[in-house]
Amino acid sequence: MMGQVSSLLRKNTSPARIAGFVLSNFLGLAIILGGLQFYLDARSIWEDDDSFIRSDYMVINKRVTSENTLGGASGFSASEIDDIAGQPWVRRVAPFSSAGYKVYASVMQQGRGMSTNMFFESIPSDFVDVPASRWSWREGDDEVPLIISKDYLTLYNFGFAASAGLPQMSEGLMSGIPLTLTLTSDDGSRRLDFHGRVAGYSNRLNTILVPQEFMDWSNARLSGGKEKNPSRMIVEVSRPGDVAIKDYLADHDYEVAGDKSATSASFLLRVVVGIVLAIGVVITLLSFFILLLSISLLMEKNRGKLHSLLQLGYDLGAVEAPYRKIVVVASAAAWLLATAGALVLRAFYLPALEGLDAQPGSLWPMLLLGVLLTAMVILLNLRSIKMKVRASWRLGK
Amino acid sequence: MERINEITLEGMLPKVFVNERIHESGVWKCRLALKRGENYLIEAASGAGKSSMCAYIYGSRDDYEGKLLFNGEDVTAFPISRWQEIRRSHIAYLPQELDLFPELTALENIQLKNRLTSHFGDAEIERFLEELGIASRRDYPVGRMSIGQQQRVAIIRSICQPFDFILLDEPVSHLDEENNRIAAAMIMREAARQGASVVSTSVGNPLLLSNALHILL
Repeated sequence: MMGQVSSLLRKNTSPARIAGFVLSNFLGLAIILGGLQFYLDARSIWEDDDSFIRSDYMVINKRVTSENTLGGASGFSASEIDDIAGQPWVRRVAPFSSAGYKVYASVMQQGRGMSTNMFFESIPSDFVDVPASRWSWREGDDEVPLIISKDYLTLYNFGFAASAGLPQMSEGLMSGIPLTLTLTSDDGSRRLDFHGRVAGYSNRLNTILVPQEFMDWSNARLSGGKEKNPSRMIVEVSRPGDVAIKDYLADHDYEVAGDKSATSASFLLRVVVGIVLAIGVVITLLSFFILLLSISLLMEKNRGKLHSLLQLGYDLGAVEAPYRKIVVVASAAAWLLATAGALVLRAFYLPALEGLDAQPGSLWPMLLLGVLLTAMVILLNLRSIKMKVRASWRLGK
Repeated sequence: MERINEITLEGMLPKVFVNERIHESGVWKCRLALKRGENYLIEAASGAGKSSMCAYIYGSRDDYEGKLLFNGEDVTAFPISRWQEIRRSHIAYLPQELDLFPELTALENIQLKNRLTSHFGDAEIERFLEELGIASRRDYPVGRMSIGQQQRVAIIRSICQPFDFILLDEPVSHLDEENNRIAAAMIMREAARQGASVVSTSVGNPLLLSNALHILL
């Protein structure tokens, strides 16, 4: 019986229109899902490298020229800091605090000792993207976490270790080696001893970073109270890659420290993915309207039959069912095709991305988004079908 | 739902007639109670609102003034689901325009209703087709049949359900007297079996009901 009702109500169905929907919805969804998946897969190339400092942070310093070397004025004055903070592309800004004392670090390794002078800097902890458990220091703690520049490890491994006959060290190995830190005031009258632990390596910070709490505490004890203008600033920007930033820095003779390419590359990736997703959304939206109009047209053409079946006593649901089925089957088919399309696309680019050391992202967000968008297309269409059937229950209205 | 024992039209008037002067009527602007078990023949000139009356009682239209009551209950608040239940089990209706599906055969048209209500077996339907002389047209698309033949298909379809009232809007306008008599007997037999009422309209070729109350619209 239902077969007969369906075939009556599906009369005038245009396979071309339904196919048009499936094709355009497939295209739109495939672009959205493929774009999202590519973003998730490729993101790690630029972002996972440096998880300590988010990509919208920028470290700036004054360019060192022969003049300010002689004048010794390479720090940022209070008015200069205010000027930076007042720029429209700046979300917030903080100075690097530097240690007003001497730091001497030593390592014992395979019976051989190695020691060096070094220095500390710090930035407020909320600029450092490391879980608080790994990046904190409280008075009484013997161990101080450090974030060091990846370049230092490279210098050691390929410059120093090779020439001095020392073994090369991986990041993990290095983190496991205890460092002995000796902090002495400039006049040598006070001295503090600590152990250092490398908590991470950064591509974008050319410094040795300690927690702000440790810096404040140790400066209070060892530096003798002299204030220096900060030589570097960390800036959170709202639009990485904005040309206004470049112009401002050039005008004021400031330099951006560290790996700038990651910032602009990840920004570019986001912009490109954004554009691709927007195109996908527009196509999906259009395909949704194609389906909506196709079903409406079909129901309009079959309005007489619809009314006649309702006159015979068929329930609204029974009369809606054939149209609901078209919507669900066509949308599900488009979703399956789009998901398959995104996965095929992924199979093509993944080897190339893995060659760039990318960590492939999870598939779940893509699958979930696909289901969500498809469910939305289906639900809105079902609603429209329901309204149309109700409207044809009484002919006069 | 309990059986419908009385359909009451209280001061009903199609909205299109509101500003017109209407002549004396046994249906409009008065109180008419149709009781289950009685048969009614409603006669009128064309355009007096017979089809409107049927459509109002069947819930297909509601462009009227006044009140329509089933067992004393106003129908305006009935939800669609209740009307569909009424259409399957309480009121049968043969509209003047027949409302058959021209692309379906005579049998398919009848079964479209009968399978919904599971009222008759195949053999009984076959007997009705034979009685009305259209058994040979059973597998013909209805669209290719004459109006008289189509009317007979629609008559059979209309009785394929349990009902308390059966509304027939000019059911035999294209039938000869012989077929009229057969159709009337068939409908009355089924109505009597169910203890139901036959309400038939006509503009001059009435269904040949016995013991029908004549009402002038």
